[in-house]
Amino acid sequence: MTYAGEPPVAQPQGAAAASHDRDAPGDRIETDAVIVGAGPVGLFQVFELGLLEVKVHVIDSLSYPGGQCIELYPDKPIYDIPAVPMCTGRELTENLLKQIEPFGATFHFGQEVTQVERQPDGRFHVETARGTRFLARTIFVAGGVGAFQPRQLRVDGIDKFEDTQLFYRVKDPAQFAGKNLVMIGGGDSALDWSLNFAGGVRGDSPYKAESVILIHRRDGFTAAPASVARMREMCDAYQMQFMVGQATGFEERDGRLAHLRVTGSDGVTRLVPLDMLLVFFGLSPKLGPIAEWGLALDRKQIVVNTETFETSVPGVFAIGDVNTYPGKKKLILSGFHEAALAAFGAAPYIFPDKRVLLQYTTTSPKLHKVLGVETPVFD
Amino acid sequence: MTHVVLESCIRCKYTDCVDVCPVDCFREGPNMLAIDPDECIDCAVCIPECPVNAIVPEEDVPGDQQHMIKLNAELAPRWPSITRRKSPPPDADEWKDRRGKLSELIR
Repeated sequence: MTYAGEPPVAQPQGAAAASHDRDAPGDRIETDAVIVGAGPVGLFQVFELGLLEVKVHVIDSLSYPGGQCIELYPDKPIYDIPAVPMCTGRELTENLLKQIEPFGATFHFGQEVTQVERQPDGRFHVETARGTRFLARTIFVAGGVGAFQPRQLRVDGIDKFEDTQLFYRVKDPAQFAGKNLVMIGGGDSALDWSLNFAGGVRGDSPYKAESVILIHRRDGFTAAPASVARMREMCDAYQMQFMVGQATGFEERDGRLAHLRVTGSDGVTRLVPLDMLLVFFGLSPKLGPIAEWGLALDRKQIVVNTETFETSVPGVFAIGDVNTYPGKKKLILSGFHEAALAAFGAAPYIFPDKRVLLQYTTTSPKLHKVLGVETPVFD
Repeated sequence: MTHVVLESCIRCKYTDCVDVCPVDCFREGPNMLAIDPDECIDCAVCIPECPVNAIVPEEDVPGDQQHMIKLNAELAPRWPSITRRKSPPPDADEWKDRRGKLSELIR
């Protein structure tokens, strides 16, 4: 995971890739379908709805597609995708993005759905934390095990400095320029931002801090080896410092976070002065508001029927890890199946006057047109 | 199905797992954690967090640890919820490689 460098996977191609930056609050987007969650199952839902010629909007709390596949196991091999003997979470995501390219889905990244409300006309008002609003005929909840949130620093009482001196992500790098920074973590985000604030890999960062101290609990990193090597060079050149240790407390002066207490592997606790503290412990999922949308739940998972994967609320479907039914297995391949049936289940809401028939991508000229491919000639 | 905390947790209780649980299903005993089987959604996110590999899905509980399935179910409702990581016991590292710690369990 990285916020500083390149996105971890290619951004959706061919999609009207709305980034969260472009979402202006105010205009309500009218759509046939909103998919909540851009993990593998949410992405495949785009495909299945696409074949039925339904255009969709996809919302995800992460800034990029892939869900658990990208956030939890981007480079671990997956062996149980039918007809794909082995692929990584990243490859699966990239292949799905390629597969859904013809359908021009609009992605709304970096925002969590906060509100789902049924309107008098049967449609749904959907709103995100950034104020993007939708009026949707159907909703597909592909929320996995929840929205990914930054893992918190566990030091009693330090929470009160969040967003003033304690940060879990860099939204505006300029706010850290010229400051004395302490960074905690051993992954790509921690290393990339440390290098950036220490002057940049090529010494040309516009956001150079006054000082940078990187703290990690051990002298071993999950970040890219090149970044680690560069960090060591910069330490040798006195451009930044690295300490092995864990934050165990803090000292306050005039209501400000003045020092962090860092206990080293030698058992000695040192006081580290700072202006700003940046913590990069990665992300973990929290089920959060999905549990409060008024859908019938069983053990915090959404109850669906196995014919259409519709929830207790007509027009709202739930697919993938977020749902439950007798015999449910949390497998990506099950989610794909669920997406196909959910698309057909939703058709009566989207096309009330049309009979939607199953067609095959091998033989249907109509589907070939939808997919933007040539119809093969059979000898 | 549920996930199960095995004997390895006893006297170690590193608590890394509780931070990542999306549904807050961990319960804290005096020297061990338990998973509430009525709350766990089998997402498996906690498994790689445990430094002593104490968490497994119910189906993968080894033969000599089968009693832990029942013990998690029995202890979880009695113990308070834990949702934030805390420091492990000071001697946790000394206990992490020991086997057969059931007699050490404080209920």
